[in-house]
Amino acid sequence: MKIFLLLAAVWVPSFAWAQICPVRLSPFPTESWAKDTSVTASRTAELKALEDYAFTLTGTDAQRKGVRTDALVIVKGGKIVYERYGRGFDETKRHISWSVAKSITSALTGVAVKKGVIKTSDSICTYLKGARPDLCPITVQNLLEFGSGMHWQESYENQSYQYSSVISMLFGEGHRDMTSFILSHRKAHDPGTFFNYSTGEADLLAEVIRQAAEPTLGKDWMWTELFDRLGMKSAVVQADLKGMPEGGSHVFATARDYAKFGYLFLNDGCWNGEHVLPEGWVTSSKTPSQTYLKGGGTDEEPTANGWMWWLNSNLPKFSEKPWPDAPDDAYTAIGHWGQWVVVVPSRDVVIVRLGDDRDSDGMSTKKLIPLALAVVP
Amino acid sequence: MKTFLLCAVLATVTAGCASETETARYYDNNDIELAVGNGALMMCSCVFVMEMPEDHCRAWVRASPNVARLSVDTTAKTVESSAFITWAAKAHWVDEKRGCVLE
Repeated sequence: MKIFLLLAAVWVPSFAWAQICPVRLSPFPTESWAKDTSVTASRTAELKALEDYAFTLTGTDAQRKGVRTDALVIVKGGKIVYERYGRGFDETKRHISWSVAKSITSALTGVAVKKGVIKTSDSICTYLKGARPDLCPITVQNLLEFGSGMHWQESYENQSYQYSSVISMLFGEGHRDMTSFILSHRKAHDPGTFFNYSTGEADLLAEVIRQAAEPTLGKDWMWTELFDRLGMKSAVVQADLKGMPEGGSHVFATARDYAKFGYLFLNDGCWNGEHVLPEGWVTSSKTPSQTYLKGGGTDEEPTANGWMWWLNSNLPKFSEKPWPDAPDDAYTAIGHWGQWVVVVPSRDVVIVRLGDDRDSDGMSTKKLIPLALAVVP
Repeated sequence: MKTFLLCAVLATVTAGCASETETARYYDNNDIELAVGNGALMMCSCVFVMEMPEDHCRAWVRASPNVARLSVDTTAKTVESSAFITWAAKAHWVDEKRGCVLE
């Protein structure tokens, strides 16, 4: 009897703490998405407002002005309720992710943690044999939080190329061996004390988890352990000549497959009733990180960051929420030129917008989210 | 026109000789070299991964300076990019999972 009570005392709390996967009445879209656009089609005025904003081109294609939408998909209740493509794209075409890839790399880190091949507290030197000793205090979690403390200049084509760490890594001196290039940067801060958004950091994380996972899970582990499980058949992850996955910028997939990725997060990291991500991983991903709260960032990033996701948090440092007309719980994977995967748990919605916005008049997240939510009940 | 181009090339190359400052790191790649690398990788990704038409892709990869001459080999699944004889880059398609890589 005593043994029974002891066992019960141990078992009951652990059961109570275990997170249960959300129950879905509709099947998960592993094979294909169910589609029902009847609800959105009846909301004529809201639909017109959305489409006028998202699909009205400005000037000629060569001028690259304004909003240039390639795909817009809205998922509600496990079904596609709105889907439209532009500029030659359709549901079969892969699209570049740019920095949406960072959120995917974050999720892949969760997969590796769940498989037991890495811990967030591990030093990067456990997996990167070429790292300098002064970089060894950097942990996997520091990378997840853009908090390695390594110097990095994240700028793009609108500034001097010679001062862009990203452009140099992708197309210049760093492109053949990106890991060595990233590790060549000096330490500027102690790990975990300063937020510095960095494609190099996401790439380094992708390489760390590759080194951790491949010996046990095989070289195609990203597909077998994540993309295939979600049915993301179109997923491509490009790499450098050494095999380092470009997990900060160069993932390609169809809009429907990006929606599956968002749907994984909408379902708290579960797919078909099974945890693909560790329990609590999604909560950590959508909570302002400790590094972010300590400092860093730029005025161009008035949005809190979790584990490589952007959040609609109204922190004291901001005058308002980043997307004031969107629910507080909305969070977003964001990529250059207007790539977004928006997750809105309180509305049971995922929004995927892919585009080619090249100037400052491109699509605004502030405008898109409320317009998209207005077409779903 | 030739003089202008020569000046532009020299100015860009000369900029590559500047030194690294204490706070900001300077990367020793001139604009043409970067444009050529960008052209090869992005054109390869657009044609062989995104599977978009070549005309769309040529417009999509256009970068400043717009100097890269792109040559697509659909059989070998490669893209060669070059500018002003001196600069060249090549990207090739790897497989269905890993897309293209810049050589």
